[in-house]
Amino acid sequence: MKKRIFGIETEYGLLIKDNQNFPFDPTEVANKVKNHVFSKKMGVLDLHYRANDEPPGNGGFLLNGGRLYLDMGHLEYASPECSNLMDLVTYDRAGDTLIQEAIEELGWADQVSFIKNNVDLETSATFGCHENYLVGRGFPFDERENLKILSSFLTTRQIYCGAGRIGSCDPHPFRDWEGGAPDESSGDEVDFQISQRADHIPNEFYRWVQYNRAIVNTRDEPLSDPSKYRRIHLLVGDSTMSEFATAMKMGTTTLMLEIMQLGVAKQEWILEDSVQSMRSISRDPDFKWHVKLASGKSSNALELQWDILNTCKEYLTGKNRETDWILEGWESVLTDLPKGPEAVIGRVDWASKYWMLTEFKNEENLEWNDPWLKSLDLEYHNLNKESGLFWGLEANGEGYRKTTDAAVDFAKINAPRGTRAQGRGELVKNLINEHSHMSYLIDWIGFRLSKIDEPFLMLDPFISYKDEIMAYFNPFGSLSDQENNTDDESNKTEG
Amino acid sequence: MEMNDPLRKEEKKESRPDRDDSGPTSPEPSRPGRDSLLKRMKKVDPKQTENYKQRTGQ
Repeated sequence: MKKRIFGIETEYGLLIKDNQNFPFDPTEVANKVKNHVFSKKMGVLDLHYRANDEPPGNGGFLLNGGRLYLDMGHLEYASPECSNLMDLVTYDRAGDTLIQEAIEELGWADQVSFIKNNVDLETSATFGCHENYLVGRGFPFDERENLKILSSFLTTRQIYCGAGRIGSCDPHPFRDWEGGAPDESSGDEVDFQISQRADHIPNEFYRWVQYNRAIVNTRDEPLSDPSKYRRIHLLVGDSTMSEFATAMKMGTTTLMLEIMQLGVAKQEWILEDSVQSMRSISRDPDFKWHVKLASGKSSNALELQWDILNTCKEYLTGKNRETDWILEGWESVLTDLPKGPEAVIGRVDWASKYWMLTEFKNEENLEWNDPWLKSLDLEYHNLNKESGLFWGLEANGEGYRKTTDAAVDFAKINAPRGTRAQGRGELVKNLINEHSHMSYLIDWIGFRLSKIDEPFLMLDPFISYKDEIMAYFNPFGSLSDQENNTDDESNKTEG
Repeated sequence: MEMNDPLRKEEKKESRPDRDDSGPTSPEPSRPGRDSLLKRMKKVDPKQTENYKQRTGQ
């Protein structure tokens, strides 16, 4: 496909600083924050069951075309479908912002923090940041060798996409049908690793998203016309704070998918064991990132990424401005990574965090497993700009922003152009304003306004449907029209 | 508002060294901004990781 559509789903962690005295538990807080957002008329709550664990009111669609809801106790924001990286990064930040603003408006900003990370360092619980890429139905996703190439890319991209964490967790508790989990050293021996999710990915391929998570998720749920499209849904990545890291994570992956589509991705990139490499790269204290290829040759993650980048440059340079920006950014970060973490501060989250924690550790003479350092690890991901450590980098001018505050504010209540999210935003706006008296049932692929009306399908994510949706509402009249009509009838009766 | 410009200029503020620029120059012992970051880090509750009780998600 020549055009692109991306989306990001983020599950947020929630920290209550004094949980002994705060009146609500994290799930209750998440629910109240979600309800507060919808009470401000920034979206419409579901009126129907979406699943057994998603009752009415559990979540809803937003004016910006995205979705806010509770999932397994976590507040989750799904961005609207975006047609370019700039929009995607902007709408990702818009989700962070509307959640943080809700906490502040509820008066809980000093007591409650939303943490945009993927692990609980104490219990080893994990929660995700899922990436969505729309590809054509003809994309070679069912060929296992192709998926192994994609797996190699995803395994090695963590060197610039990882968010980093202190310590580790017991790896691979669910990989038992393949002869048992490899014998691993205990988590206490890992000071710091570059990926939050690496310990939680026991498989190369699998279709489910909880337990038995895989580097390549193979579930086929297109949320669009299944005869035309496939949605590649990845759960292997970390939530990223840096806008550059978010753009690189999504941008390099979409270029990788494009060279796979072209048939020029190379089998020589296939790793001997992607799952093992995912973990060993993440945990390498020397940042050498050695890997063994299926061919028997030795390499490292950096070399492999350079080779993939060079292939992308050969076939994709000049395709459009966005592609060239991705290629330039990819090259810059691969060039700078060997210079050490300090060389990529602000662009690579694990490196930013590693540098900050190392400086603090040395200043305070702490060990890596000190609770203070773990607390700082969490604080790196705090959405609160007054206290969160990432925002300290940004305040110092080291955040490498791609967005602007004005664009993020706009994106909280306006949908992006160029995808069906624009039509969905129009739909939500109508249901909040002129047609707030109407019932509705909304999903990603369409909506219906009553049991007797035919569903309005939005099966093509590249079509905005905005004009059609505006026309769809015309016959219903607006709430003010109905009130005027009622007044007229009343006047006639009285007359 | 235009949202579709991939070449929108990236913002990069000037770095703000923590120390006074006056006086004799000497080799920079540490990264500019380091001290302000360390101040921010010192304010973090050393025990907050113990209150971060998360359920496994997806």
